Amino acid sequence: MTAKIKEFPGISLSEQDFKDGKILFNFDKLNGIYAWDTGVGIGSYLASLKNGVILGSHCKTCRKVVVPPRVVCEWCYRPMDEFVPLKDTGTVNTFSLCYVTWDVQRIKEPEIPAVINIDGASPLHGIMHMLSEVDPNAVKIGMRVQAVWKPANERRGSINDIMYFKPLEEK
Amino acid sequence: MTLLHRDPNAPAAWVDNLPVENRYTYGLAGEKFFRAIKDNGQILGTHCPNCDQTYVPATVFCERCLAQLDEWVDVGTTGEVVTYTFLHVNLDGSPRQDPEIIAFVRFADGGLVHRLGEVDPEKAEFGMMVQAVFKPAAERVGSILDIDHFKPV
Repeated sequence: MTAKIKEFPGISLSEQDFKDGKILFNFDKLNGIYAWDTGVGIGSYLASLKNGVILGSHCKTCRKVVVPPRVVCEWCYRPMDEFVPLKDTGTVNTFSLCYVTWDVQRIKEPEIPAVINIDGASPLHGIMHMLSEVDPNAVKIGMRVQAVWKPANERRGSINDIMYFKPLEEK
Repeated sequence: MTLLHRDPNAPAAWVDNLPVENRYTYGLAGEKFFRAIKDNGQILGTHCPNCDQTYVPATVFCERCLAQLDEWVDVGTTGEVVTYTFLHVNLDGSPRQDPEIIAFVRFADGGLVHRLGEVDPEKAEFGMMVQAVFKPAAERVGSILDIDHFKPV
């Protein structure tokens, strides 16, 4: 749609114009500090990520294993029965080649966010993470991947304790 | 067994910060208004000959007849306190020793919200004339805070 517009109205400004003082502006920084209660499910998930394990939870009635773990089953609304440790390998469910960073900077090498179905969870149950150590053109849906963890002493109970997923080296 | 108990090793809360920053450019009229404050220590307004209104801070359009305004007027640096209030707490909620006085100072048919200084809080009153005290020219950056405060005439 924007291709049809030859000239946008208004005055376009570059970073240099701000530096040179060509334009006056007000800079402001939001105080966006927050604390989000992790709860029982995600709290346990983050604690086990610190130990290098991806945790799921199991409902015996529905015979479902979901990841990240939830304490109430989304199918039968009953409390889940147990936490189950899952493998740190999985299958690419879907992915994207992203040539723009979160703060809208263009990049040459794409970031590859992907949904990865974790081995041990029920089919089509997975988590979102990044792929790396892979040729962007070689990424395929159904590709087998494995987690690359941070060293144990650097893990702090965060989803970023897994740095990224890389193609699985078959043994 | 149900999953009712928190993992004692689990983080109770995820604490983080949203990195939200913004740059606000003042627009056509605002740019000229703040340039005048920064470079000349002047407060500018725009006059609508149709409605005989002088807008302060300056605007590019008359909000009554929507005509474009290009008649710029220097409204001087002395205005009248229309209303004021005492602030006993700071922005972060901590108590203040001396209250800060925030006033609406009328210029022509508009005005500015700013702080009053060099005035005994008990002597502040509606209708008193106050004058803008500008920061030294070298310290001005093109902001409403280039006026440090208003003091009684």
